[in-house]
Amino acid sequence: MSNATEVWPTGLTEGQALEIHRNLIQGTQMFGVIAALAHLLAYIYSPWLH
Amino acid sequence: MRPIALKLVRSWAELGPRFLPFADAATPDLPLSRLLRLSLFQVSVGMALVLLVGTLNRVMIVELHVPASLVAIMISLPVLYAPFRALVGYRSDNHRSEFGWRRVPFIWMGTMVQFGGLAIMPFALLVLGLKGNAANWPAWVGPAGAGAAFLLVGAGLHTTQTAGLALATDLAPVESQPKVVGLMYVMLLLGSILSAFLFGAALAEFSPGRLIQVIQAAAVATLLLNCVALWKQEPINMVRRKVRAEPASFAESWATYLESAGARRRLVAIGLGTMAFGMQDVLLEPYGGQVLGMTVAATTTLTASLALGGLTGFMLASRVLSKGADPFRMALIGAGVGIPAFALVILAASIQSILAFVVGVLLIGFGGGLFSHGTLTATMNSAPKEQTGLALGAWGAVQATASGIAVALGGILNDGLGGLAVRGYFGDEFGSPSFGYIFVYGVEIIMLALTVVLMTALVGKVALRPVGSIES
Repeated sequence: MSNATEVWPTGLTEGQALEIHRNLIQGTQMFGVIAALAHLLAYIYSPWLH
Repeated sequence: MRPIALKLVRSWAELGPRFLPFADAATPDLPLSRLLRLSLFQVSVGMALVLLVGTLNRVMIVELHVPASLVAIMISLPVLYAPFRALVGYRSDNHRSEFGWRRVPFIWMGTMVQFGGLAIMPFALLVLGLKGNAANWPAWVGPAGAGAAFLLVGAGLHTTQTAGLALATDLAPVESQPKVVGLMYVMLLLGSILSAFLFGAALAEFSPGRLIQVIQAAAVATLLLNCVALWKQEPINMVRRKVRAEPASFAESWATYLESAGARRRLVAIGLGTMAFGMQDVLLEPYGGQVLGMTVAATTTLTASLALGGLTGFMLASRVLSKGADPFRMALIGAGVGIPAFALVILAASIQSILAFVVGVLLIGFGGGLFSHGTLTATMNSAPKEQTGLALGAWGAVQATASGIAVALGGILNDGLGGLAVRGYFGDEFGSPSFGYIFVYGVEIIMLALTVVLMTALVGKVALRPVGSIES
């Protein structure tokens, strides 16, 4: 299974697939933090829950 | 297809390259379309710079009534990140990736950070301006939010630009680098001018909702432009993935880079020259208004002539340098043109000639264009193969830090000395508001002269790979 040279059906090696996965997770986390921050600031500007 | 149509199509194809100044930058490996696409990241950088320094500067002061000192602090925050460009370049040189990629991960990361900063920017600014319900919150919330937004945008654009320029250097062969540099600068300038117009038009009638729309549109535009720019640009490199040994530390790499021919002197000259060409940036328009009595509409022609001079400089430098001229000589000539240009601007006050002033500004743009083009081309040409990122990072760090300091210093010197002069501290002869401006322009002339001295020693020192051999 863990063979760096093996080309999987997508043409990616396992290491490459893992790297893409890692970046996807990191990107989602970053977007999550930014969205939370934007919501917090928008809430400070005009609270939408009374 | 009918013969006439066929002929027409062929004539368009033949017409094309002659009317595109950068068409012959396209080597078999790097066609013009790909190069143009890559240069889109410069459009997003130009847009972000104009937004931070121009549009939001005005919006915060005029529409949101934020104190000018706080605005000045916010705007200077992105400059704090500029020195880290050298580190970003080093990190990208030694990046470990299964794809063997060095630049794409950094361009992507920079894009994300810039997008994030712009996404929270409008709310942060509204809170900073104590709009809506924000006045009921602790006072530190506004500055903290806005500070975070400005830092994020700054970090993002510096990272993207460093990795992007390094990628361009990787992709372009040495003989077409001058044209690549020209294209990058022209796109930066066009991006700034175009987005300044768009932001101005969109924010003509200000409302909080409109501010949110405009800034978030800029965020989406950043993401789109940069994705299009980096798509399929950097080839997958399986060899690099395998041979990567333990990299040298940043301190070691930095020391090695400074050892290489003329690097230290070049960086000092770039910093000095950039400062000399940058100090008048925020002073030209008030000088035109206060000292020469130009109207607000008339002072906008100054921005136009500065840009026109810059464009001419970039294009001329691209042409001359791609024929194999020494980029240091080009930078030297640029600094040399700057000296009479500033002298003309000073002279304009005593002969009260707007024409002399505008011509001087045009020449400042032209000289600055030659200088920037020459120094960036020299940096690219002499970048060690495995230290391209570090070399471009060092250039960017010096250049961006110097222009940030220059703008601040120009403003401080002018306000301080102009204020003292009006109160008569330097005697009656100098007791006019023009004293501060003329002092700054004088300092710029001295700095340019020093740059010329430093640069003279560099001309012809760095052995460039011969250009003519490719054509013969």
